[in-house]
Formats: sequence, C-alpha cells, structure tokens
Amino acid sequence: MLALQLAVTGLQTGALYALTAVGFSLIFGSTRIFHFAHGATFAIAAYFFYFVFQAGFGTVPAILGASAGAIAFGLLIYWLVYVPVQRHEGSFFTVFVASFGVGIAVQNLLGMVFGRGFVTVNTSLSRSSEILPGLYVAPLAWVAIACAIVFLGALHLFLRHTHTGMALRALSDNPELVRIFGLSPQRISAIVFVIGSVLVVPAAIITSATTGLNPAIGHHVMLISLAASIVGGIGSVYGTLLAGLILGLAESMALLFVASQWTEAVTFAILFAFILIRPSGLLGRATAH
Amino acid sequence: MLAKSKIILTASILAATTASAEDYTVGALFPLSGANAIYGEIFMAGADLAVEHINADGMVSGTVSIAYEDSQALPQPAMVGMTKLVNVTGVPYTLSAFTGVSKAISTLGQRNQVVVVNGGGVGPDLAELGEYFWNVIPLANLEVRALVPYAVSELALPNVALVYVDDPLGQAMEAELEAVLPEVGGELVGSYSVPTTAQQFSGIAAQIRSSDADLVYIASYGNQQVQIVKQLRDNGVDAQFASYSGYTVNDALELPESEGMLVTSQSVDFGSDNPMTQRFVEGFREKYDQEPTAYNVNYYNATMLFGILAEALEADGTEVTGETLLAKRREMESFDLVGGTVSFQDNGTLLFPIEVKRIEGGATTTISSVSFE
Amino acid sequence: MEAYIFNLLNLIAIYGILAVSLNFIIGYAGIYSLAHAVFFGLGAYTSAWVGLNVTPSTFVTIPAAMLVAAIVSLVLALPALRVRGEYFVAASLGLQVIAVTVFSEWKSFTGGIGGVLAIPPVNLFGAEIYQPREFAIVSVIALLIVIAITLALVRSSFGRNLRAIRDSESAAASFGKNVPLIKTVAVVISAALAAVAGALYASFISFINVESFMLDTSVLLMAMVIIGGTGTFLGPLVGAALLLILPSAISYLSFLPQTEIGALQQIIYGLGMTLLMIFRPGGIVGRRSGT
Repeated sequence: MLALQLAVTGLQTGALYALTAVGFSLIFGSTRIFHFAHGATFAIAAYFFYFVFQAGFGTVPAILGASAGAIAFGLLIYWLVYVPVQRHEGSFFTVFVASFGVGIAVQNLLGMVFGRGFVTVNTSLSRSSEILPGLYVAPLAWVAIACAIVFLGALHLFLRHTHTGMALRALSDNPELVRIFGLSPQRISAIVFVIGSVLVVPAAIITSATTGLNPAIGHHVMLISLAASIVGGIGSVYGTLLAGLILGLAESMALLFVASQWTEAVTFAILFAFILIRPSGLLGRATAH
Repeated sequence: MLAKSKIILTASILAATTASAEDYTVGALFPLSGANAIYGEIFMAGADLAVEHINADGMVSGTVSIAYEDSQALPQPAMVGMTKLVNVTGVPYTLSAFTGVSKAISTLGQRNQVVVVNGGGVGPDLAELGEYFWNVIPLANLEVRALVPYAVSELALPNVALVYVDDPLGQAMEAELEAVLPEVGGELVGSYSVPTTAQQFSGIAAQIRSSDADLVYIASYGNQQVQIVKQLRDNGVDAQFASYSGYTVNDALELPESEGMLVTSQSVDFGSDNPMTQRFVEGFREKYDQEPTAYNVNYYNATMLFGILAEALEADGTEVTGETLLAKRREMESFDLVGGTVSFQDNGTLLFPIEVKRIEGGATTTISSVSFE
Repeated sequence: MEAYIFNLLNLIAIYGILAVSLNFIIGYAGIYSLAHAVFFGLGAYTSAWVGLNVTPSTFVTIPAAMLVAAIVSLVLALPALRVRGEYFVAASLGLQVIAVTVFSEWKSFTGGIGGVLAIPPVNLFGAEIYQPREFAIVSVIALLIVIAITLALVRSSFGRNLRAIRDSESAAASFGKNVPLIKTVAVVISAALAAVAGALYASFISFINVESFMLDTSVLLMAMVIIGGTGTFLGPLVGAALLLILPSAISYLSFLPQTEIGALQQIIYGLGMTLLMIFRPGGIVGRRSGT
C-alpha cells in the first residue's frame, strides 16, 4: 500500500514537473534560448496568485493575476534581455548568464516584497481524504493531473494543427522557413515565451496550496525542468512530458529504498547518466553537439 | 622623536587610568544584516540592558561596553568578525548565537583563551566545544527529556515517529529520543531524516501513516518545520504532533495546522519576586516598551555573568582575562541571574526548567513544567 | 581595522585562486563548469582530514588535497568529452547537486552540516600561521604561484591547443590534436588548483561545513569570472575582489534597513551579470565582445 501511495504522490508531483518542464523545453527547443529564469517565472506566478488571493479577490482574479504576471515577465525578459544579448552574437553561455542573473534578482526582489518566510494559500482542496484503505489523495492531485492533460493536450493541438504552431516547430530548424511563411521569427519567439510562461501557471498555483512557497522555490523548479528537458530530449515536448512524470515518480518511489536526503541525488544521477550515455534523451532526435 | 614621545605619554596616561578604573569591552557576534538580522536585534536588546545595569551599579571600576560584529548567522562572516574581536579589539569574553556560528568561532576562542557564551543556539553538541565555550540556554536534548515522558505517560502516546532535519540539531534529537523512549516505555516506530533544503514531505507523510505512530516529533527549524507540519496534516497524518522551542515562532504558531501541537521551551517565571528578575522585567518594559522573551533573558544573563565575574576578579585584584574568568566561574559555582539562582554543569551549560506547552489559537498555553538536577 | 583588511585580503586571495582556476577552463577551454565549488570543497575536506589525522604540515595537506580533487575531477571530465554547451552545464549542475548530498551525508569524512572543527592552521616547517597578517603572505604567494602556473600553461603550446579546441573541436581534431586528452588535463589542472584554495580556506577559517561548497558558491565563482572578464588575466581577480568588497561597501549605505543588505547585494550582482551580458559580454576587463 505504501508503494501505491508513493506512486500516486509521485504522479501528482510528476504532472507538475511535466507542465513546468515542457514550458522550458518548448522555449529552449524552438528559440535555443537557455531560459534559466524559467524558475523565476514560476515564482512570480505563484506569488502573484498568493497576493491576489490573500487580498480577498477570489480564485479567478488570482489565476488571472498569476497568468498576467507570468506572461508579462516572459515577454519582458525576452524583449529586454534576450533580444539585446542575441543582437551581438549571443553564445549560449552569454544568454545563460544573463538569464541566471535575472533569476537571482527576481528571487531576492520577491523576498524583499513578500518576505523570506514560508507562505501558503489555505484551501481545503489540499486536504487528503482516504479513497481506498490507506490510500490518501487530495482533490488538488486530481486538479494537477487534469491540468496536465488539458494544457498539454491543448499544446499538442496547437503545435499540430495551427499555422503558428507549425511555424513554431520550424523555428529551431530553419528560421528562414518561418520568414517564407510570412511570419517574423521574433514574433514567433515572443509567442513561444507566452506559451512557455503560461504553462508554469497551473503548477505554480497548485504548489502554492500544497507545498507552500518561499522566494527560492524557482531554483528547485528550474533544476527539475532542466533535468526533465534533457532526459526527455531537448526540443521533444513529448519526451519532456514523459521525463517529468518519470522524475516525479522516481523522486517519490525512491523513498522505498533510500532516505529522503538522497532523492534529489537520484534525480540528478539519472540526469548525469543520460548525458553520458544518451545525450539525445528519451525521445530526442538529434544528438548533442 | 616628537611622535615617539607622544606615544609614550599616551601610554603612560593609559597605564595611570587602568590602575584605578578599568574599562572592559565585551565582544558580540550577532546577525546584524541578512535574513536573520531580526534575531540580532532581539539579542542586542537583552545585552544592552545588562550593560546599562552593570554600569549604573558600578559593578566594575570602569565601564563595560559591547563591541558588536555582524555574523550574518553564517560561519564565514562570523570568523572574520571573531578574528577582529580577538586580535584587534582584544576582548576576553564574547557573546555568540546560532549553532553553526558558535561552532565555527569556538576554535578561535579556545586557541586564544577567549570565553564564548551562547544564548541562542540549542544544538546539543554545543555542550562539547571545550572549556571556553559556555551555554546560558538549555540545549534541545533537555527539551526532549521534558516532553517525551509527559507524552508517553500522561497522554498515553507510546509510539513515536520522528521527522528530523539532517544536521547536528536533528541528529542529536534522534539520539536523545532513542535513549529516552525505552526508559519511559515508549518506542521509536519510525525515524525520517530530511535534508535542510527539502520542501516536499508528502512521501514522508505516507511513510509515517504506515508506521502507525501516535506521536510525531518534528525537529527542524525556519520555513521547513512549518512546511513539514502543513504537509503531514494535508496528507492524512492525524497523530498528535510535538516539537521543541524552535517551533515557538510566530510563523509556526499562526499556521492553522499547528493547532493542538505540543511544544517545549525554556521556563522563565517573569512574575517571580527574585529582585534580579523584577529589575530585568521592569527595565525591559521601560526601555523597549514590550514584553521580554527568553532570548532577551539569555543575553541579559550572558552579559550580567561577565559583570559578576569581573566584579569578583577585581575584588581579588586579579586581571580580567578569558583564563581568569573561566577559573572564577568554576570557583563561584552558582549565580543569581534572571530566572533564579542557577549553576553550570561541568560541560559549561546552564540548567533551566523546561515547560511543556500546547498551541491553542496561535498562542501557547503551559500545561506542565519540568525541572532538572 | 588592520586585521579586518588582512582578513578581506586573505579571502580575496583564496577566492582569487578559485576564480583564476575556473577561468582556466571557462575562458581558455570553453568548459563552462557550474561544479567548481565541488573541488574547492574536496580540497578543504581532504586537507582538513589529513591535517587532523596524519600531519598538519602544509607540504603534505596541499598535495593531498590536489591529488584527491584531480582524481575526482575525472568524473567531470567524462561529460566534458561527450557533450558541449548547455549539456555540459547541466551535467556539471548534476555533479554539484550530487556532491552536496555526498558532502552532507558522508559524515565520517565531512561532518555533514555540522562540519569539521578545529582544523590545524597552515604549518610551514613546524611554524603555525594563523594570524591574518602572516596568513596574508601565504595566501598571496599561493595566488601568485597559481597565476604563474596558469599563465605559463596558457602561453605554452598546451594553451594554444586548448584555444583551438574551444574555437572548433573538429578542426583541432583534424589537425591531429588529441582532443580528449587535452580537455581532460585542463579539467584536472583546474580542479587541483581549486583544491589549493580549499586547503588554504580550511586552515585559515579552521571550520568548514557543506554550506561553503554548495551551488551558490559555484554560481558566485562563475559570476566572479564573468563579471571580471572570461579569458583575461586580470578579470577573475577583479571579479573576486569586487564581489567580496561589495557586501561591506553596501553596508555603508546607512539609509538601508540592515535586514535588506544581503538581498540587495544579491540583486546587484544578479542584475550586474545581466547588464554586463547585454552591454559588455566580455566582462569589465575583457576587450573582446564575448567568447
């Protein structure tokens, strides 16, 4: 029963990991921008939700506030940081350092504004109930899984069946092709940032009610997203989704064999092994360069 | 030549004044900036009040003052500050706080015969940092010894699960629980360590549920302890919760999930008619316009202890150094401080009574008090 | 005041060694490691262990620290041979996270979070050196030696090969260069030099715990190299000095609440990194734009 419980818990965590990681993977896969501040987007969305919700405006305005915060941050960092950095050459490392710097600044700004302590959104939805003898599941677990299905399903439809979606997929391989379609690569990139940023919102909101928030939360989210993107195969949305679920399950199920302080090491040992043995990831096409 | 004679002149003036009145500087390594700076202010409030009282009473021939250095509650800045206090300011006695900081600077204290006094950290291994390291705060192992017998015998909760942070504090708590539980007829049915940075505890909750514990003891601090309590409750753990004095902070007390938890803390009877206690409580209210806490008391006591020892040394005509302060403390044995007459154990740690409390509506209510000999 | 300045000087020298050795692989070999704190830590733990259990002589503790770091660095060299760019950054991040877990859990060697206490001071021919002023001589000389070693390497044929690999691995290979060997040697040298800093740090502070060797430290070191200027001789030193003096400089701004100083310092160096990448990707000292 313990194993089943841990599997269910792992699935919930994995669904959230998948949502955030797919956002990162989509951005990185199509624009080649190593968006390390993706964790900051997560933290901003979560704190915006918390702020609006605590102020008493209710859930829907809070979700809108979180989405607006995430989208605004995604677009701002794209226009104000990545575009200027890429204007002169922009090796991956330059982009990475710029992004990392923004992440540090955001984390500390959030700490100054909202306090460095732990905050949490109080809702009865995070309370588990016993659905089978010894198996406890919180309503938010279903919400997490439903969000993952809805958002990633919508993403799938968008990528496969819309003009913009197809142009987006072409962006990384051949920006010229995008121009031939009559679209501007910069415009497409901006759209990618909006989509990638929106994908973290459900995970950020659910996390604010389940594990709670602190300003450093983006850090962990980013490390997991990075690990899932690489294990899944950079640029492969489906691989990342699968990897997110696997990492969530591995983190939870590892408790059957090791003490909890080793679970993070398990995640990163998986990552390290993939980079050594199969850098292209689970479903990646091209090998690493 | 002129400059040189000037130096000799000042030196002789200094020598002349020291013969009649000696001014003393005591060091203090508190977090004055960074996330823990709030603690620094609390500690300073107690220490500053003691300095006022020592000087007002003329306990020593000259005056006592405190040289504050910023530790940021981190080992490295603390070492920089301690080096300055030892080598430049030349203090014989230093106040310290936080387990990591205290451990880091204890080597320098021992090497240079400077007394280091802790009134904030409760890691039980602070009792083992050498003869120049003293604690004026009861360490967390005493708190376990107060709470566990109460929970097992009075509340009939024999099966205990422990969630502890994997650091010296948590490890010592685990060792203490393993030692105490069999003595009182309880059993440690599960023991789960978490890294200091962990935020996800739903998996641990599942493990605790399957351990059938009646009492879950949580030994962590800061944000983490609050997250542990909330997530355990969220994930269907309905056993009685318990923790130590680290949990008696507002963040934790205000959490709805904390309702009904047992906690322990150092017992200070502010209503006592002991004159030292009354003067402290009145002086504190007057100076800061708020009620004192145990931390204020500890640093008041730590500073007052220096005053008492220096006064006694001056009466003997002995120079005040770290070495003589240590010898004097051993000679005097017991001291009148806030909270009553107290004495040091051989390992340089003060014994205080411990209170067992219950969290009700965001505050604590005392339900039992335990004294130690 | 004097001891304070010498203290700062010691820290700048120690972090200077770390920044110079990190710059050696970032700036000249194109190996962007976010795991440098691992080798700093290995050096510190090893020298502390040797100092406490074998002999306090610095002529033994430092070589032992270098040896252990050099051997473990082969684990970092492996992904460096397989992948480049983002993948290597991710691999080094993974190594850093795993190392922190090992540092926290291998308590017989590292003391976990509790750390290692009473580490013996630098011991040269039986003379103990722990006063900041005397120690500054030792640390600055160590820094100069490390700079001399890296400069000599960079200017040798080895250094030319490194830069050739950085600019184009396939071209270097087609010229008959033994690319895997050259990259491995670069990583090993960098790790061994970082271990020197670790050994000095442990004996100077006399207390170490895992908190000094976490990802934050790796990031700080990377920031020192980037802000100073990658692939330059003075850059890492300027970066190290700047980021270590910054906290004390900010604390002079008395209108700020004391509790916000730490956060403000982080914001300044975070935004500093971003702005430099936008306007001057070569760093403060760097003349070229980017690497």
